[in-house]
Amino acid sequence: MNALTTRPELRKKIVLLSITVIIEGVAFIFFWSVLRKTAATHMQASSASRTSDALPNLLSDLNLILPMSLLAILLGIVCAFYLEEWLSSTSWIRRFIESQVAFLTGIPSLLYGLLAVIIFFGYAGVFKATRTTFQHNTALFYTEMLIFILMVIPVAIKATQEALRSVETPIRESTYALGANRWQVLTQQVIPRAFPQMLAGGCRAMSQAFAAAALLTGIHIWSHTTGLRGLPDRFMLFLGGALLLSNASSFLTEIYVPASTQQN
Amino acid sequence: MQTDSQNGSQNTPVIEITDLKVRYGDSPALNGISFDVHQNEILGIIGPAQSGKTTLLKVINRTLEFTPDTTVEGTVKLDGVDIDTIGDVYGLRQRIGMVLPLPVGLPLSIYDNVAFAPRTMGIRAKSELNEIVERCLQQAALWDEVKDRLNSLGTKLSGGQQQRLTIARALSHQPEILCLDEFSIAVDPVTTMRIEEVLKTLQAEMTILLVTNLVQQAKRLANRTAFFLNGDLIEIDTTDVIFSENPANQATYDYVNGTFG
Ligand SMILES: Nc1ncnc2c1ncn2[C@@H]1O[C@H](COP(=O)(O)OP(=O)(O)OP(=O)(O)O)[C@@H](O)[C@H]1O
Ligand SMILES: [Mg+2]
Repeated sequence: MNALTTRPELRKKIVLLSITVIIEGVAFIFFWSVLRKTAATHMQASSASRTSDALPNLLSDLNLILPMSLLAILLGIVCAFYLEEWLSSTSWIRRFIESQVAFLTGIPSLLYGLLAVIIFFGYAGVFKATRTTFQHNTALFYTEMLIFILMVIPVAIKATQEALRSVETPIRESTYALGANRWQVLTQQVIPRAFPQMLAGGCRAMSQAFAAAALLTGIHIWSHTTGLRGLPDRFMLFLGGALLLSNASSFLTEIYVPASTQQN
Repeated sequence: MQTDSQNGSQNTPVIEITDLKVRYGDSPALNGISFDVHQNEILGIIGPAQSGKTTLLKVINRTLEFTPDTTVEGTVKLDGVDIDTIGDVYGLRQRIGMVLPLPVGLPLSIYDNVAFAPRTMGIRAKSELNEIVERCLQQAALWDEVKDRLNSLGTKLSGGQQQRLTIARALSHQPEILCLDEFSIAVDPVTTMRIEEVLKTLQAEMTILLVTNLVQQAKRLANRTAFFLNGDLIEIDTTDVIFSENPANQATYDYVNGTFG
């Protein structure tokens, strides 16, 4: 049976939620303004540029993704270990990161793809007239970077945390009871047990990264063949709605304590 | 019947507990208990569910630290040293063997389960490990059943066998103190009797804290018995007194005679 969390607990969660909403609000307004500029810049530029070389160019850039996703996943794993194994569950750093992770992983990856498109064109579009491969690459690099920070790392953190939590307390306790130190417990019990789940989580994070990259590529090609006629404001409205809803969902799942962690 | 000569006559305290209070969040689990555990005795700890028996054991080997949001006050001294001041908590835990109520087989082979603690203590020699594994499995009355498949997974044993495996594991680091928390829950009566015999012989080498829901088990084994109720130590005395017609407290009498509540 699930139960609602206690009052003070709820208050803390509302504070964390408000912080999230404020950050989001600022970011949202920023992207909207960038988008409007992009649409304008791009409409002038798109007729001028012919893009027969765009696809191979972009595909070759995809080799950025592999090392970067590995790096991002590794970072996520390290971060998850830090949160789960070193910080106490009441630590504010942990609570803050976890609430951000819950929010970021709640966003559908499609939105990240669109976000990437917006940023990518926002950056690359400005330099359209004099665009060089270098600028194209840096644009792609920064876009991917942002996507990884916002999407892959949180997914990796969450998956690793879940994997670590799946190693039951009694197993840890009995290993500690044998006099093993933290490192021995981690390497000899926790990691071997959590490994399959961690691997699965890594794959999930990777797959999202690739999906976002694919979307980015697709929209890139599409925009050059049809001309991106600017994403309408109505689109932004839906985007905002989706963000809010995903926020609400992560909040709702957080204020319920799952039966397994309830005290008896 | 136990005689006084068996419990190391001079009653040297190995564990001294003073005004121990434990809270999980806001709910108290132990409300200021004080008592000593004597060298080489078997101390039976009885009491209904939720009376704080398991909590007490977890304080002693400092594994309560893994439960978030717990508060521990008071002192627990082991051989005169406050366990909170012991820097090497891993060394402390090696001095205490712990058998938990539900068998927790580590996902290792039977051999590795028992050899785990000796290895973490730095024992590498194969012959020495073999000898420890065999001795501990013998003591836990499991050797005959598993000697031909030491390399199969410990978690594939039956519940009762796994419980005996955890007993073997708890003995593998040659603890000074052996804590058993309801070890016989998953073990059949015949094997329980065999393990009880082993405990009596182990008493010569170590001090044993036996938490049990079977009051008769305390009566059979313990030199002294402590009765816990809702986080309070109601009474601690020789087993003969606790199980006599007139223990100091009426609740004790009711509990051991099954007329409690
Ligand atoms: N991890 C925990 N979190 C919160 N409360 C706990 C936890 N473990 C035990 N408690 C509470 O502490 C009190 C004492 O529990 P404890 O497990 O020590 O009792 P016990 O005597 O071992 O009972 P049993 O005979 O059922 O094993 C109980 O009220 C219990 O609800
Ligand atoms: Mg218990």
